[in-house]
Amino acid sequence: MATHKISFNVNGIRETAEVPSNMTLLTLLRERLAITGTKRGCDTGECGACTVLMNAEPVNSCLVLAVEIDGTDIVTVEGLAQDGQLDPLQEAFIQHTGVQCGFCTPGILIAARALLDRNSKPSRREIKDALRGNLCRCTGYTRIIDAIQEAAEVGG
Amino acid sequence: MDAVSKSHVFPSPIGESVTRVDALEKVTGEAKFTDDLQFGAGLLYGQVVRSPHPHAIIKRVDVSRALALPGVRAAVTGEDSDDHIGLYLKDRYIFCRDRVRFVGDPVAGVIAVSESIADEACRLVEVEYEVLEPVLDPLQGVQEGAPLLHPDLGEYVVADFIDPKPGTNIANHFKVRKGDVEAAWSKCDVIVECDFRVPHVQHVPLETHVAVARVDQTGKIILWSSSQSPFAQRNLIAEALNMSQSDIRVIAPYVGGGFGSKAGVSVEGTAVVMARKVPGHPVKMRLTREEEFYCAFVRQGLIARTKVGAKSDGEILAMKTEYYWDAGAYTEYGVNITRASGYSSTGPYRIPNVHADSYCVYTNHPVGGPMRGFGMPEIHWGIEQIMDMVADELGMDKVAFRLKNCLRGGDKNVTGMTMHPIGLAECIEKASKAINWGEKAPASAPHKRRGKGLAIMWKAPAMPPNAGSSAWVRFNEDATVSLGIGGQEIGQGSFTVATQMAAATLGVPLDWIHISAPVDTKYSPYEWQTVASRLTWSMGNAIVQAAEDARRQILDIVAAYWDEDPNDLDVKDGQVISFKSENAIPLKDMVVYGLPLPDDQGWHGGPIIGHGNFMPTYITSLDNETGQGQRAVVHYTTGCQAVDLEVDTETGQIHLLRVASAFDVGKAINPDQVRAQMEGGVVQGASTAILECLQLKDGVPQNPSFTDYRIATSVDIPDEIIPIIVEVPQDDGPWGARGVGEHPMVPTAPAIANAVAAALGVRILEMPMTPEKVFLAIQEKLGEA
Amino acid sequence: MNLPHPGLPSFDYIRAQTLEQVVDLLLKHPTDVRLFMGGTDILVQMRDGLLEPKTLVDVKHLPGMTTIEFDPDVGLRLGAATSMNAVAQHQAVVENYPLLAEAANTVASYQLRNRATVGGNLCNASPAADTAPAILVLEASLIAFGPSGERSIPAEKFFLGPGESAFNQGELLTRIDIPLLPKGCHGRYLKLGRNAGGDLALVGVAVLGYPDETVDSDYRFRVALASVAPTPIRALKAEEILAGKSITDETLQQASDAAMDAAEPIDDVRASARYRKAMVRALTRRALSEVWAMLREEN
Repeated sequence: MATHKISFNVNGIRETAEVPSNMTLLTLLRERLAITGTKRGCDTGECGACTVLMNAEPVNSCLVLAVEIDGTDIVTVEGLAQDGQLDPLQEAFIQHTGVQCGFCTPGILIAARALLDRNSKPSRREIKDALRGNLCRCTGYTRIIDAIQEAAEVGG
Repeated sequence: MDAVSKSHVFPSPIGESVTRVDALEKVTGEAKFTDDLQFGAGLLYGQVVRSPHPHAIIKRVDVSRALALPGVRAAVTGEDSDDHIGLYLKDRYIFCRDRVRFVGDPVAGVIAVSESIADEACRLVEVEYEVLEPVLDPLQGVQEGAPLLHPDLGEYVVADFIDPKPGTNIANHFKVRKGDVEAAWSKCDVIVECDFRVPHVQHVPLETHVAVARVDQTGKIILWSSSQSPFAQRNLIAEALNMSQSDIRVIAPYVGGGFGSKAGVSVEGTAVVMARKVPGHPVKMRLTREEEFYCAFVRQGLIARTKVGAKSDGEILAMKTEYYWDAGAYTEYGVNITRASGYSSTGPYRIPNVHADSYCVYTNHPVGGPMRGFGMPEIHWGIEQIMDMVADELGMDKVAFRLKNCLRGGDKNVTGMTMHPIGLAECIEKASKAINWGEKAPASAPHKRRGKGLAIMWKAPAMPPNAGSSAWVRFNEDATVSLGIGGQEIGQGSFTVATQMAAATLGVPLDWIHISAPVDTKYSPYEWQTVASRLTWSMGNAIVQAAEDARRQILDIVAAYWDEDPNDLDVKDGQVISFKSENAIPLKDMVVYGLPLPDDQGWHGGPIIGHGNFMPTYITSLDNETGQGQRAVVHYTTGCQAVDLEVDTETGQIHLLRVASAFDVGKAINPDQVRAQMEGGVVQGASTAILECLQLKDGVPQNPSFTDYRIATSVDIPDEIIPIIVEVPQDDGPWGARGVGEHPMVPTAPAIANAVAAALGVRILEMPMTPEKVFLAIQEKLGEA
Repeated sequence: MNLPHPGLPSFDYIRAQTLEQVVDLLLKHPTDVRLFMGGTDILVQMRDGLLEPKTLVDVKHLPGMTTIEFDPDVGLRLGAATSMNAVAQHQAVVENYPLLAEAANTVASYQLRNRATVGGNLCNASPAADTAPAILVLEASLIAFGPSGERSIPAEKFFLGPGESAFNQGELLTRIDIPLLPKGCHGRYLKLGRNAGGDLALVGVAVLGYPDETVDSDYRFRVALASVAPTPIRALKAEEILAGKSITDETLQQASDAAMDAAEPIDDVRASARYRKAMVRALTRRALSEVWAMLREEN
């Protein structure tokens, strides 16, 4: 199986890697780069735990081939805080108990970040719709939606 | 507890909604789950060959072709399983030895340098089976002449409160015989009889099961696992492998959702057995989502036959119940669900005449295990519907009917136990009021019908009588505190509540307390398991004791230093103060280095470490024939949910408008976390009520993926969830607290069913209430009319 | 029991440089080469062991594959690798073909729609494809590039069976052309899933209606259905009824009954045939009523 040399940014840091064709972006992040905030939940694009930003748009990293990220910017949950300052979404998730077991949290934060970047004042309906690809089994979603609304209100 | 009797002023931060102590780690990606740990170049991967048959004899297993594949390091088969394993009934081998009993049963394992090579090698393992007739229904399973799944049932090691019937498929039979049911029927003005069914569903934690095992050259085992039960895992694996508990170390990082599926031992055993073949190498075993559906625990299926009789004034006189649990291939855990459902079979009602039989039946279905509610969501599905049906027959309001018959403090319950004070009636009143019970509200469109319904519940921690907890607190140089516990943080907030309890007892700021995590059986204090909604209560008591122990040592040291009476001293906000002399000293000046004695006489004190433990001491057994006894359980948490919904009659879709959820938690240590449990429970309950069913055809799951096993998403949730906290203190709970983790999903499904019945005049007797099922039920009713 | 692989099986990835190169690869290795765009379907099937291509040829970077062009005199040209989100958010689509945007938005989740492509959705020829009924009622053409150059396949001739489309060997989809729509038209796509969010369609119904004085009712309707037959289908009998007599509640009901009769669903793990048929009627009725209300409001 052929390998491919790729270079890309992860959370603002330039990286290069030689990857086999069948390596997914999720596996590259977690098992090659040991950036493990992004979670594996189903490998079929259904649960959203592996959501990352690829050129500022959210994607299921389990269904992106590592070779495809050549030349792109990838942002994971580890990249949300800037200069030691939490993203307003992270603050809001802490304040509103938008977290229980925490396994879906990284993917949801990324999906929410992307939502607020394209729609700074989403309605509750729009927030729910933007999250429908992120399964959470603990919280019942209510507090997650509250937290995103709060982050939007403070201009996050 | 002192705190309760003293006054209702609680020390800070008890009763305060502090933010979760694990939240920062979890929103930054810093929180480590088992699959996040890095094991370096020596890491190997295990994959498992699984039975494609629900029931078969293993004639031959040949791993030679798998072993020949480059990159494969070793293989295991049933011969590598030493002894049986299981929590209450040791009825399974880690790898099957002679017989497979469900589709997915582990037959062999391959260890290789990569997951894909291990996977490829598994496909090269040859297994020859002699296919046997399967048992696919518990009613079939209990019949005489049914294929026997466990001919050796009589040989298995079993807990003394479990009653297996060797020579049958019945792994446990629990009976209640109270009063005289047959005589009571003739006194009833209304009798309703009905069967209810609950299918298999799954926990669906977002993190699938994962375990990494390493056996060193001396034979000692380290197991990293996503686990609710590090100590139970250590114990069960030690017993199965005939090892000392000291030679097994379980390290349990954060758990990405448990709901019972990560209690006891399941896939962890396979990782350990495989690791024994490659000493020195960690072996990782992680389930794909599909394997999770096939092989991890499922919630047992249930067929419930129920009969209830009442007098015209609404008083319930008698109840007769038969529970047939579809317990699956192994019932090591399910036998106790069967027991719990038997001793709770009446629901939270005062009923003088009770006849109940709860049968745990082996079937060739996936393994039934504990799931949030431990049998209670399943039995309340029927209990709370039939109570509505009785109220309908009586022409009585359903709230009034429940208020008339529900248990109150001092009542004798089904097993003869005197109920402790409970706030169930208050929960019923508050939940029903929150949805404007009794007020008719219009549906939002002509093709929709609106209805309101409610359901009440009770649940006790179901566990061995002597399940214990322990804790320690250890001061650091700067007076911050390491808090050692063996209970797990699985999302329910246990670390936060533990921190609050330690801070309140010690008298130090909350952020001085640091949980010594991950739980590690080598260093952490013993905890039975993180199950049964027992940590806040049981582990909480141990934490309070440990903190009081440390506090007492501190006060003694400072009292000697000041030459005062310790009773005049207190610890406030990290300082020891004297009410008498108004002296003050920061804890950091004395908790590690002690204090000098006067006149250069040397030193007093030393590093402070406090210990505590807790175990209920008052649990008695139940009579084998009657199910009667003094006190079978530690306590019951009770509650009520009320639902306001509408149904689209053209599609059968249910839309939840409002769900009020009221529970008596004794004392909410962290009210926000309690409300979060109620909200999450409502959504999980509604998800199982409307969407979920592991569809089994000839024992084979038909929908083992997220594509076809749907769970509630953000757009499926109720428009509004109204959590209501009721607090009637528990006499032996810390500050009066009792658990509430499982309870909020127990009444959700029947409350929805009752509201659907109110909306449509149609009763759905089998979960889930899919749009299709509701639609077809409406059609059937129209056909009849 | 069908256990998927724990990861993707081995294959080679080639980023295509020209259409001709792709055609050449497809002709030389008809079974071993598969085209790759968003990957949301093929990677799942490969993990499931249902497909075992030796080579994936990524064609989404080829010129025009992600272009959306609207010409007010001709219509819409959609590159085959245009993502669902790109379609749903494009101003020309939202303004001129809201039905297509609505259908694209019902697919799975936002993050999946960033990768899933319209072309991929159609080429899979799944009876449940959400954009298929829209493409049918919009009377689009699928533009294939192959050994003998470009050819246009009308949408109604494209779907041949589950997973089976009208492509010849060596052909790939490059574009979807959607003609200008009749003046005054309105459309809806209604989808029923098992839950509210992101499910596959148990039933999908697309309706497009517009004024047409050449027919007895003065209105034409086009009705297409997903997930209730081996392919996405047009409900032609229903369309005839709606053209043939003045539109009343009764006509709408008769047309919905006809749509139900056109459906030949199966029983499967997702739903029974009986329920699916009933839902075709209910959703068609609902979509027709909504479109009719919009039409009446304007005329």
